[in-house]
Amino acid sequence: MLRAAYGLRFDSALPLPELLPTDGLAADADVQVRFGNVDEAGLAGGTQVGPFAWASPDALWLQVPRIARYLVRRGCEIVIDPAPGIDDDSLRLFLLGSCVGALLFQRGLLVLHGNAVQIGEHCLVCVGPSGAGKSTLAAAFLRRGYPVIADDVTPVDQHGRVLAGIPRIKLWQDSASALSINTEPLRRIRPVLEKFDVPVPAPPGDTAVPLRWVYLLQPENRADVAIEAVPGLQRFMPLRDNTYRQNFLAGMGLGSEHLALIGRLASQVRLSRLRRPTAGFTVEAMVDAILDDVAAHP
Amino acid sequence: MSAPEAAPRGIYWLASYPKSGNTWFRVLINNLLADGPAPVSINALDHGSISSARSWLDGLLGYASANLSADEIDRLRPALYRWSLRRPGIVHHKTHEAWTQTVDGEPLLCRQATLGAVYLLRNPLDVAVSAAAHWRCSIDAAIERMGAPDAALSNTRTSLRPHVRQRLLSWSQHICSWTDTPDLNCLVLRYEDLLADTAAQFGRASAHLGLPSDPARIARAVQHSRFDELARQEREQGFRERPPDAQRFFRAGRRGGWRQQLTPAQVARLIADHGALMQRHGYVDCSGEPCD
Repeated sequence: MLRAAYGLRFDSALPLPELLPTDGLAADADVQVRFGNVDEAGLAGGTQVGPFAWASPDALWLQVPRIARYLVRRGCEIVIDPAPGIDDDSLRLFLLGSCVGALLFQRGLLVLHGNAVQIGEHCLVCVGPSGAGKSTLAAAFLRRGYPVIADDVTPVDQHGRVLAGIPRIKLWQDSASALSINTEPLRRIRPVLEKFDVPVPAPPGDTAVPLRWVYLLQPENRADVAIEAVPGLQRFMPLRDNTYRQNFLAGMGLGSEHLALIGRLASQVRLSRLRRPTAGFTVEAMVDAILDDVAAHP
Repeated sequence: MSAPEAAPRGIYWLASYPKSGNTWFRVLINNLLADGPAPVSINALDHGSISSARSWLDGLLGYASANLSADEIDRLRPALYRWSLRRPGIVHHKTHEAWTQTVDGEPLLCRQATLGAVYLLRNPLDVAVSAAAHWRCSIDAAIERMGAPDAALSNTRTSLRPHVRQRLLSWSQHICSWTDTPDLNCLVLRYEDLLADTAAQFGRASAHLGLPSDPARIARAVQHSRFDELARQEREQGFRERPPDAQRFFRAGRRGGWRQQLTPAQVARLIADHGALMQRHGYVDCSGEPCD
């Protein structure tokens, strides 16, 4: 059975229950995910871009020791070389993270490291470093009835639209508890982690939603939540810095193309810093502040 | 003719147990490198990373460390620091971690990439007072943690922190892990000595770290890093590295404050836990009485 995400149809040898089922024959798939041998020594003809990564203009090689080696090619194929005895959940987690992120880059998309929430006909994306509270914020929006259309990996197309991804939010136990989400019936994203797969309803309507607002989550030593718009010329760097796995772009031959995409997006969106206290649980205040900002700047 | 000696490359660690002067030391280094007409902002401290900073480690990994357990992350970390060797030159990174081994027995902070360290040491009687304020716990709880051989920072399995797990071990073990590892090229610097003669001690450390150490430049860096200057900046602009629960980061910045803060029982407990190391570094005399 084919599965769909990001406007693509996946034909995968590894079951992908997180993705929505879709019609079609294997021949119609945009992306093949298969098991196979991935060279231990790296990518022939490529550049080593990190201790566990190689890149070339048409491929990304990634090694997660004791879990798998992955090869992502030409935006249409992912080969998984699993470590002996490894569970499917662990394989999926890195497949649906960095590997799918690289695949989307290879297809010419801009990929932001953040979560997308639909507000009416448009959407907003919250970006920020790991641990800044992006997924918790998305879960709080969901609880108020706003569809969450992408978690962590958020691709934006040439027309400035976010492509709806996997209908789930990955949430740590502490965040779930703070939002009164019972994790008992939920699946752990990996057996060893206290982090859960919170299923979200599939987004209504189009799978490509125009991006209108970007919020940079910035935990700080402060008492309140505040939003501060970033003027036009200063929007470029924060968008670049919050690109998914940006260290690998040059090795993938995407440096200049990618900068052009960021430049275009910077002129199309309203970008703001969302400053929040590092201490305490302020997610509801953040949702209120964002909804006020969205209403004031439709 | 012999080939020119290759420029050194690798990491010098600025290592210390928490609340032992590491941040002040980084302020000194930043002022030394900037060598400007005015003090650098405490909110713009640059130069090097922190061994446990998740965003830095994730960037090198290419995937999210959040999807790995603390032990799994530790197994990958030596290779991440080794990656520094690809670039020529010396880098200086801060760490609060003890010098430990991964589950595979490999030094966590990578022996091969490590050129050396400056280890900053402070009287544990003062550390206990400062750490209690920093961790927002009672002094007794801070003393408990300083004695715990399994103590670690950011050690949670149920949420995501900006830093990965950092093993501290006990205060005594932390020191020994750095100072007693053979050939680590570790310069030990007491916070109290740095306070007493900042220019001389900082100059010594700078030379060890391969940083500029000419006396005039050192003197300017020392002048720009005075405690009243740091406290003034924190009062006026706040300090981004202050933990959310602590009231102020730059508190007293002096030695011997414990005399007003610790009970005799707390002093006795710290000396019972750490007497041997305290004597070795001149914090208690041979009869076990505090020197300061």
